[in-house]
Amino acid sequence: MQVTEHSGNPTGDLTYALRKVCKRYGDGTAAVHALRDVDLEVKPAEMLVLLGPSGSGKSTLLNIMGGLDRATSGEVWFGNQNLSSMNDDALTQYRRKRVGFIFQFYNLIPSLTARENVELVNEIADDPLPAAEALELVGLGGRLDHFPAQLSGGEQQRVAVARAIAKRPAIMMCDEPTGALDVRTGVRVLEALVEVNQRFGSTLLLVTHNADVARLGDRVVRFLDGGIRSIESNSRRAAPSDLEW
Amino acid sequence: MRVLDRKVLRDLWRMRINVFAIVLVLGCGVAILVMAVGMRGSLERTRLNYYAVYKMADLAVSLVRAPANIANALAAVPGVSAVETRVTGLALLDLPGVKEPASAHLVSLPRIGRPRVNDLSLAQGRWPDPDRADEVLVNEALATANGFQLGEELAATLHGQRHTLRIVGIANSPEFVFVTAPGEIFPQQDRFGVIWMGEEALARAYDLEGAFNNAVFRLSPEVDSVKIKRAIDVALAPYGSAGAYDRDRMPSDRFLTEELGQLATMAAFLPTFFIVIAAFLVNISLTRIIAAERSNIGLLKAFGYSDRAVATHYAKGALLMAAGAAALGSVAGWLLGRMMASVYQEYYRFPRLEFEASAGVYAGALGIAVACAVAGSLTAVIAAVRLAPAAALAPPPPTSFGSNSAMLRSFSSHLDAKSRIILRRIVRFPRRSATTVIGISLAIAVLVLAGTFPAVMERLMHVNFTEANRQDVSLSFVDAREMSVVHGVMNLPGVILVEPGRADRVILHHAGKSVEETLIGLLPDARLSRLVDARLEVIHPPAAGIALARALAEKLDASPGDLLEIEQTRGRRLITHARVATIVDPMVGASAYMEIDALARLMREPGLITGVNVRLDAAQYDRFNAAIKEAPALAGASFINLAERSMRENFDRGVGVMNFIYLSFASVMAGGVAFSAARITLAEQERDLATLRVLGFTRLEVSYVLVGELAALGLLAVVPGVIAGTLIGEWLMKLFSNDLYSFPYVFNAAGYAVAIGFALGCVAAAAMLVRTGVDRLDMVGVLKARD
Ligand SMILES: Nc1ncnc2c1ncn2[C@@H]1O[C@H](COP(=O)(O)OP(=O)(O)O)[C@@H](O)[C@H]1O
Ligand SMILES: [Mg+2]
Repeated sequence: MQVTEHSGNPTGDLTYALRKVCKRYGDGTAAVHALRDVDLEVKPAEMLVLLGPSGSGKSTLLNIMGGLDRATSGEVWFGNQNLSSMNDDALTQYRRKRVGFIFQFYNLIPSLTARENVELVNEIADDPLPAAEALELVGLGGRLDHFPAQLSGGEQQRVAVARAIAKRPAIMMCDEPTGALDVRTGVRVLEALVEVNQRFGSTLLLVTHNADVARLGDRVVRFLDGGIRSIESNSRRAAPSDLEW
Repeated sequence: MRVLDRKVLRDLWRMRINVFAIVLVLGCGVAILVMAVGMRGSLERTRLNYYAVYKMADLAVSLVRAPANIANALAAVPGVSAVETRVTGLALLDLPGVKEPASAHLVSLPRIGRPRVNDLSLAQGRWPDPDRADEVLVNEALATANGFQLGEELAATLHGQRHTLRIVGIANSPEFVFVTAPGEIFPQQDRFGVIWMGEEALARAYDLEGAFNNAVFRLSPEVDSVKIKRAIDVALAPYGSAGAYDRDRMPSDRFLTEELGQLATMAAFLPTFFIVIAAFLVNISLTRIIAAERSNIGLLKAFGYSDRAVATHYAKGALLMAAGAAALGSVAGWLLGRMMASVYQEYYRFPRLEFEASAGVYAGALGIAVACAVAGSLTAVIAAVRLAPAAALAPPPPTSFGSNSAMLRSFSSHLDAKSRIILRRIVRFPRRSATTVIGISLAIAVLVLAGTFPAVMERLMHVNFTEANRQDVSLSFVDAREMSVVHGVMNLPGVILVEPGRADRVILHHAGKSVEETLIGLLPDARLSRLVDARLEVIHPPAAGIALARALAEKLDASPGDLLEIEQTRGRRLITHARVATIVDPMVGASAYMEIDALARLMREPGLITGVNVRLDAAQYDRFNAAIKEAPALAGASFINLAERSMRENFDRGVGVMNFIYLSFASVMAGGVAFSAARITLAEQERDLATLRVLGFTRLEVSYVLVGELAALGLLAVVPGVIAGTLIGEWLMKLFSNDLYSFPYVFNAAGYAVAIGFALGCVAAAAMLVRTGVDRLDMVGVLKARD
């Protein structure tokens, strides 16, 4: 893995430190500024919620922090590594070793069973949780050998959660994980996420446009038009079962 | 409908790799079809036309000597519309600048006018002056091969006397479209030709003044040739007639007929592969388009488009591909046909052979292409029609992968997850997997065939020239000679070893069947000319009776113990009998064989031989040739080295062209199928592959999922491909085996390796090209959209 050392470690004890991160799509008059000068710090084991209306740049930021996309300018520090200056291979290794992803549309492999979808990622992880155990954790112990087509949306999303947590990732990135789910199933998914955050001490970045879901976080970053409008700390994190939406 | 039509084009453009593959594969099928059917038609038409305009004989007869006035009796036979009586013979030629003597078939020209039967087409020069005994025409193939100029002189030994002949013209004749020396297997156009000269001069040379020894006939339309032959035989019986025969015994026409048959086989057989595979490719691509278009179809239907409009919309794409393939294939077939016609023109001497496929051929090709597209698109279009508007608008459920069989489950439990993805997809889409496997198998099969032909030829040449015929020269005499002639030949310069030989041209009769063949006398313990089977073992002559080659025995319906009637066609036209002693399987030649002395006794010429086989001291080669050029008693000299050289040249050119065509078609097949499979796999799995990249799999690991599927299908194709190639090869060898050879199937390990390697190479190239798609996967995009 390519590591970019920095003299004075800019992150200190932080997990992420973002400096003046910009993302622009296109050029000239047609240019879209998805992110403008975003500065953000993320603490270890923190549960950070990125909240904002649709199109405000949340996913763009998450994708950059997850090593799926690159900032147009600015620095994205993860520990003492600058993601902005990593090549493709280094970013792949970063995702592989550090990050667990959960997406709105689950992104399971349809030709693999629930267990195998988890095993798929375990095969490239260093010290993974056994697949059955990870699925047990999200309440799917009884559906190990079902293919995605045989599972409901909520179940599919919980398989995705199991897939993300099984490698005990340092970071969990969740982009609208409940976006396609009804309340009851959404709550179960969120419960699984909170459980992981507490049990493994993973830093959890959760993107949502739902203000109610934001009550789960230690801190809430409010987005508007590609910029951070405010950052608030919740004095008390709500439990998923308290949510209503 | 305008907008929808634009959408058809856009769909095709989006699937352009598949469209390209389909058009190429189907185009290949159409091209072979146009070429083979067109070539067959061209040859057939050219032959028919040539025969009609130049009055090809319907019947021919050879005899010892008949007085010229008998011609009137022959012309009077009812049903005979024209007769030409001729003097014919063989002559040894001493060609300027050529060491070895060559030989020619001599045919007389009538004193007045042109031949009434078997007329000539003059390519260059003029007709001989009947008052100039030395003026001759030579056939165009011999003239071209030797670079003869008009006015050039040839020395020829006719009936033991040396003549100097002057070439005044170069000609072709329907009688000699294909020229081979009697008993020779392959044409040696530079070593055997036809010379036409004035009747009187030729008759004088053969002591046949006022007489003829050959007659050719044209018949009135719709007459019974059997009756006419009988009448001719009766009229000529007192003059040593060998019996009138039809075109099927005229060597040139027989070769042409066989060639036409082979083209028909090719027209029926090769294109089928391509067309069937193309239909499957159409099916797979269209199924894919329609799957990707579920919501569009729903929308169209919701807007009120009828089922028929929807079906037409998707069928249009397939029809466009068919039209493209028909156009491409027709042009390619026309070009290949022209190329083939020019190769044919070298062997089959027509005044003018042009490739010309009728409009019907092209229309038929278009029809077949359209049928292929319709057949291929049927299930996909029906699926589109069946889609309910509501269902089509809802997002598709994830592709369902049901539980697999227990065997598959236990097998897949040993695999890593990525290999499991590959396995499950292959099993989940069996029709597509099978198409890919069959397509690649067929490519391997075609390549195995392409590798087999040279190996068979190589084996044939090895057996013929190294194992069987170990002599350097075979000399044949004008008349049968005493055995003591061996000593005379031994005294020629450079001769190391001489063995006697005997061959009689006969008609064998058994069970109502008659076959004209050569009855060959074998020397027990021969060191030079031997009969060898496919395992390279020497076949010894039976102690008594006749040995029949299997093909000949089948034609005669004869088995050991049967009594054959044997009718000599030359000389005294003896009729005698002998029993079949055994059936043999020589590799080259399908004749009848006897012990040499027994044969001479059977022909009532005890102790007489008709030729000798000679081994030479290479250092004295030129002196030997100089000596035999003067020898009066020789009818022909066949040189093994020259025969081998010309066979190899013929083969390299003919088979070289064919192999190039096979190679191109096989690579189109393998590449087209692999490309199309790879492209569809990528399209279908784009989302999954991008997800894998998001999850931290490297490009290499993700490429494995894509390439692994193709590799697995490619490897699965190896065994069926090799088996199909071998079976088709064996079948083709049987089909191509004729009176002259029985083609063995030769297992050629290197050829198989090349076939497998080349086909898998095409698959690998396709996989590598499509694999670049993995580098362009849109990781961010894939997360936004549902399937
Ligand atoms: N590939 C792209 N090309 C152009 N604009 C894009 C692209 N991806 C996102 N955008 C724009 O960037 C902005 C932020 O998008 P996104 O981060 O997806 O918003 P959010 O996740 O907050 O809904 C939007 O205006 C969106 O239209
Ligand atoms: Mg978003």
